[in-house]
Amino acid sequence: MKNIKRTALSWLVLLLGLLYFMLPLVATFLFSLKGKKGVLSFVAYEHVFADPQFLKTFFFSFQMSIYTVVAGLALIIPTTIWVHLKVPKAKPVIEIFALMPFVIPPIILAFGLIRSYSRPPLALVTTPALLVAGYVIIAFPYIYRSIDAGLRAMDLRALTEAGMSLGAGWFSLLFRVVLPNLRTAILAAIFLTFATVIGELTLAVLLAWPAFGPYMALVGRDLAYEPAALAILSFAMTWGSIGLIQALSRGKARPGTVVAPGLAVMAEETKPTTTRSTTNGLP
Amino acid sequence: MAFLELHDVVKVFGKNTVVSNLSMNVEKGEFVSFLGGSGCGKTTTLRMIAGFETLTEGIILLDGVNVVRTPPNKRNLGMVFQSYALFPNMNVRHNIGFGLKIAGRSRTQTDKRVEEMLELINMGEFAGRYPHQLSGGQQQRVALARAIAREPAALLLDEPLSALDAKIRVRLRDEIRDIQRKLGITTVYVTHDQEEALSISDRVAVMRDGKIEQIGSPFEIYNHPATPYVASFIGTLNRLPAVVVDPQAGILDVEGQRVAMASHIASTAGTRVQLRLRPEALSLGSGDEASNRLKGKVENVKFLGSIVRLDLRVGTNKLSIDSFNEPRLVLPGLGEEVTVSFDREACVLMAAESEVKP
Repeated sequence: MKNIKRTALSWLVLLLGLLYFMLPLVATFLFSLKGKKGVLSFVAYEHVFADPQFLKTFFFSFQMSIYTVVAGLALIIPTTIWVHLKVPKAKPVIEIFALMPFVIPPIILAFGLIRSYSRPPLALVTTPALLVAGYVIIAFPYIYRSIDAGLRAMDLRALTEAGMSLGAGWFSLLFRVVLPNLRTAILAAIFLTFATVIGELTLAVLLAWPAFGPYMALVGRDLAYEPAALAILSFAMTWGSIGLIQALSRGKARPGTVVAPGLAVMAEETKPTTTRSTTNGLP
Repeated sequence: MAFLELHDVVKVFGKNTVVSNLSMNVEKGEFVSFLGGSGCGKTTTLRMIAGFETLTEGIILLDGVNVVRTPPNKRNLGMVFQSYALFPNMNVRHNIGFGLKIAGRSRTQTDKRVEEMLELINMGEFAGRYPHQLSGGQQQRVALARAIAREPAALLLDEPLSALDAKIRVRLRDEIRDIQRKLGITTVYVTHDQEEALSISDRVAVMRDGKIEQIGSPFEIYNHPATPYVASFIGTLNRLPAVVVDPQAGILDVEGQRVAMASHIASTAGTRVQLRLRPEALSLGSGDEASNRLKGKVENVKFLGSIVRLDLRVGTNKLSIDSFNEPRLVLPGLGEEVTVSFDREACVLMAAESEVKP
């Protein structure tokens, strides 16, 4: 009897939780279908896709996210490996740095970048490099945490020492031993960065780039049904990314690869990002 | 000139001297074990030989060449780790072939060598498996094959059997020794398990506080311990307080009973000493004419499989005796008074209240 009661209670809690998360989404979805009076239709989605700005801004942000991923991974993977192997004492310091992008609002980051890089010799404000640099900072926590979790899951020290005792130098170790075992962690980092950069608003607005985030904000201010459609689309993209990570990591799933930590971060962090930028409007 | 030589090797971590002035030689083809409790510096010494730790002072000669400044990947030493450290992203075949690939061997050469190795460790049918699909014992065999595939100058093993269960441990231990003999590869082995060290090695170096207490064959270490620490660390040891009665005749007094040594004693009459006896050197009954005898009360009878251990009380001291477990063996009852006998040669004398920690 007790057991049945407890099971029923667990299910009830789960159901309430699901309702809490799903209701707004379902409501948004239903609202997005009401573009035409009296009937449910995808007319709002048609409008979204028909707007040339949609694809243009989306591809701009997509491009920026690729640069961010490349620059971020190239910076953070070797650093994190180095910290794990040589200076484990620096881990708490990096943890604090990894919290900074959450503690310091992006608007401060943006003004800092503008003030520092608008004068010679470093007049970078008009180049996309500065935007990417800012994105790398924003994406840093996601990349660092994924890579860190991936490195923790493997016995990095023993694996590198085993590799070295077999004659491997740092290059071979990195590309034949460490990176292949970080596959899932790197995938998680890529998709988290992607999801973050695609919806990013503040930096893009303040540095005046025609990115997807500002476009969504603009649409949200001016139109009624299209923003709802956009919100649903960005959710679909995020969830598609999660599905893709799982599909790609399932092929060689084995103990030692980490899917969960990255995904947990992703599930938590991408939702607020996308919804914030669709509903908040311009600063 | 020995194949591997350590001269006055010192390792200091912060304020801790982990290895102090350690010198030793390992001959080509020899199997030497570092044996000691945790923190004695045995693993640090091995890691310095491997190149994973730098030396604070001293030199290490490998085949006559000082390798102290050679990075680990250039030392050509095979290493086996306690945690196996197989590459999770590679199957057995690729793990074993990794070192060959790095060394730039051709594909046919590599394949041939990997097949040889698979045969050597009897794992041919597992060639396509990934590490997580293997048991601990199988993983460690693959790790061994991986370490020796490249024909390294020497093989280093860091507690390779500690993570395995008892039965596999004994079997793999014998396999490691067989393979080592077959290939004649110089081997340095680190363990905290004395049975392992004694059964597998040509020579054992017993370490304590960063120093080698004694280095010698298992027979020497066990039967002629050089220091009180080695004596008490290796095997079980009975320690009885005694007083020298007649140094010339080698007579001692143990709790009011007389014990004769095989030779004279280098102390004056009345000196307090400690008599040390191995449990297996003692037997129940009066023995022959020349035997020493001690009387005691049976306190405990422990059945350990192939042997039976009796704990006696002799005066205020405990005395353990091991007897082979034969069907004819008649065991005394608890509380019974018995006589045990032992040869004069079995007696080892140490200074009383020596520095040995309990």
